[in-house]
Amino acid sequence: MLAPTHEEEEAISTTSTPSSPPDLRAQKLKRVLQEPIVDMAQLRKLSWQGIPPELRANTWRLLLDYLPANADRRNQVLDRKREEYSATIPRYFDVDDTHRTNEEQTIYKQIQLDVPRTLPTMTLFQNQDVQQALARVLYIWGIRHPASGYVQGINDLATPFIILFLQENMNKEIRQIDPSTIPSEVLTRVEADTYWCLTKLLDGIQDNYTFAQPGIQRMMFKLSELVKRIDAPLYDHLKQQEVDFAHFSFTWMNCLLLRAFPMHLSTRIWDTYLAEVEPFSILHVYVCAAFLCHFSAELRSKDFQDMLMFLNNPPTQSWNLQQIDVLLSQAYLWKSLYENSPKHLNHR
Amino acid sequence: MSGDDASDSTSPPNRRATTHIKTHIMKSEDEYDYLFKVVLIGDSGVGKSNLLSRFTRNEFSLDSKSTIGVEFATRTVTCDGKIIKAQIWDTAGQEKYRAITSAYYRGAVGALLVYDITRPQTFEHLERWLQELLNHSDKNIIIVGNKSDIVNMRAVSTDQAKEFAERHNISFIETSALEATNVELAFTNILSNIHSTISANKGTTIDEDIPSADDNVGKSSKIVISDQPMMGAKQKDGCAC
Repeated sequence: MLAPTHEEEEAISTTSTPSSPPDLRAQKLKRVLQEPIVDMAQLRKLSWQGIPPELRANTWRLLLDYLPANADRRNQVLDRKREEYSATIPRYFDVDDTHRTNEEQTIYKQIQLDVPRTLPTMTLFQNQDVQQALARVLYIWGIRHPASGYVQGINDLATPFIILFLQENMNKEIRQIDPSTIPSEVLTRVEADTYWCLTKLLDGIQDNYTFAQPGIQRMMFKLSELVKRIDAPLYDHLKQQEVDFAHFSFTWMNCLLLRAFPMHLSTRIWDTYLAEVEPFSILHVYVCAAFLCHFSAELRSKDFQDMLMFLNNPPTQSWNLQQIDVLLSQAYLWKSLYENSPKHLNHR
Repeated sequence: MSGDDASDSTSPPNRRATTHIKTHIMKSEDEYDYLFKVVLIGDSGVGKSNLLSRFTRNEFSLDSKSTIGVEFATRTVTCDGKIIKAQIWDTAGQEKYRAITSAYYRGAVGALLVYDITRPQTFEHLERWLQELLNHSDKNIIIVGNKSDIVNMRAVSTDQAKEFAERHNISFIETSALEATNVELAFTNILSNIHSTISANKGTTIDEDIPSADDNVGKSSKIVISDQPMMGAKQKDGCAC
């Protein structure tokens, strides 16, 4: 078994130091969550600044509209959804290859290739049962969303959910969980919850994964327009060095920045995304802009090649939650400035 | 032709200074006669990323993530006394969804078309990949049958692949990125082919008016190869919504 050496072993929930007094916000959030009917506006507002780890699993379920705001209905919905998912497994997944269409076989094979390459340095994801669970989630999602099917990178998007729900169920941080000790009923629950949360997440961004990935094209274009407006010297330098925004931002869009940060920081960013009232893909572009411009001075001293190598492996391993807060605040500010005034983007 | 770190030898006069270029594997990579962009293409999981890391860093990883977007690495080699800097690009194999195809191929002067000798389907798809390549211009191409170390699971015979390559008039080689077999040869083969093409064309297609859009490819050579990327990046400047 691989030693848990990699940064990915860092649990989602290792630290919790959001900008406003965390204890106070945690208490408020707890109170909101305990209401018979959760005030979603209040929940979004509090979650936007980061969710305390111990409250994250249920808060995400609510924010993603997987769980209803009405507490009375919650268990019923959860049972029904988990059953519904389980019922799809024999129908879609546990079938002989001869019963799959060519398209389905292609998706199946692609997933079989990608699952072992999902967070490969993390012990948890080297476990056979966990891999099988991930494969089922991805395949069933792909089959039920034929407009896009499974696209590489969606496997990454499932991992925060698996980690989060496993931690919740095992009541341990991820690095302390021995995968071989996960009870099968726990994994079944985690798998079903992951499926539904992934589905909800992707509902808003499906055109990122349909043919030619128009959603991503649009976001990359918007990012370049934003940077042109916000940081003209950086934009000019990128142009002058012939760097295409697709060269570095495709991955940011395709995997929602998961590959740009250690897991516990990506998760913090997702707190904010899921708390957004508008589609989170709007804010995401501004976060990417804030992220890129954060490195402006450094990038402007580099040439084409060094810039791309830098951006492919940005130095975020030592970042902390405060830095993420700053990044998100900057993105929020720019979004308020530019989002509803497209004219601001038109000329320099 | 061989890997070479003696790239700080006397500079030809037409070499342009590039002050910031560094490299993982050798110093003085800012000195070169030609910069060639070469792309790795082929189905998902055939070993493109490991061929790249084997050639540029002499590394192989059994637990690498699938590639999303584009990545590249460089290495400098010498060929007929010329210093060639190879900029090797790598991308995801699940090609049909890629939104970045044009950014990927733009300026490329060669391609390694990779399949997995243990998975016949990856070989059958070569035809499709060739078509995609030709759509972006005809380049120097080499077909690479990777994973030759997995002897007991071979599903594509060497003869079969050789026949295919001959029919398309393309070079062919089998490699093992894991065992570092022929990887060097595969890359140096294509680089020297590109170099020969350029040398043969020299004098006939020189264009002194190449705009700076050309900065990243064939940097110091002034030689226009058929698909040089004069446009593309410049064209897209539309206005905002």
